[in-house]
Amino acid sequence: MLVGLGGGVGSVLRWWIGRLVGESYKGHFPLGTFLINISGSLVIGYLSVLFNVDWDNRHGHGMVLNALVITGVLGGYTTFSSMQLDAARLAAEQHPRLAAFYLLLSVAAGLLAALAGAALASAQG
Amino acid sequence: MKLRFAVLLVFVGGAVGAIAREFLMLFVPTLPHGFPLDIFVANVVASLLIGLSAGRYKRKIISDGWHLMVTTGIMGGLSTFSSFAYATSVLIKASMTSALVAAAYVLISLVMGYVAAVIGMKIGGMRTESSPRR
Repeated sequence: MLVGLGGGVGSVLRWWIGRLVGESYKGHFPLGTFLINISGSLVIGYLSVLFNVDWDNRHGHGMVLNALVITGVLGGYTTFSSMQLDAARLAAEQHPRLAAFYLLLSVAAGLLAALAGAALASAQG
Repeated sequence: MKLRFAVLLVFVGGAVGAIAREFLMLFVPTLPHGFPLDIFVANVVASLLIGLSAGRYKRKIISDGWHLMVTTGIMGGLSTFSSFAYATSVLIKASMTSALVAAAYVLISLVMGYVAAVIGMKIGGMRTESSPRR
């Protein structure tokens, strides 16, 4: 139930931010999904380290937050399938190099964001 | 379509997708050396289905509302980029073997997900008896 609630909230947030970015940016690069995925990766890195620490002390509260926020909100907010659909569309519209660049940049930036989030939480801990 | 209705469609779709992903995470085991098979399956399946759904939408076989609920909601909720990135970041730091697993995970996810989306779009964009003539 919590995962569903979080997934719903995260998806609406993704849809809303995607619309906002789409209104102000008209280029080929799928900027909305890119920004969503990278920000989500930063937050998941940060919260995973933070919640893991708390699991030892808080007797199960961490599990609730984990289901609601990490699996639910962040899972619903970020998307792998839209990224692939964007890439497939770009390639179909004669922009195969941009599609490959988009996928590789997403993975590299997402990985760095997750590492940075975890490092930030560790530094605070 | 009213905004409130659109929000509801995305919310319900996202909830259904996330719950489906939770079930995958409960029943699909993580492979030896930490390969996240559950997230991998969720992402590749969602990539195939999102391509299929986008193709059907392009052919105007499914409505705006249906497209919003399935493509933006369910497939977006089923697939996840944050867990994908975080699992990779943890594996990369753990050991030499798991760093190799992480590299394989990223590569296979990207290639399979992309191929799945392209195949989905191809099948979804095919003309069927129910599709209107162009």
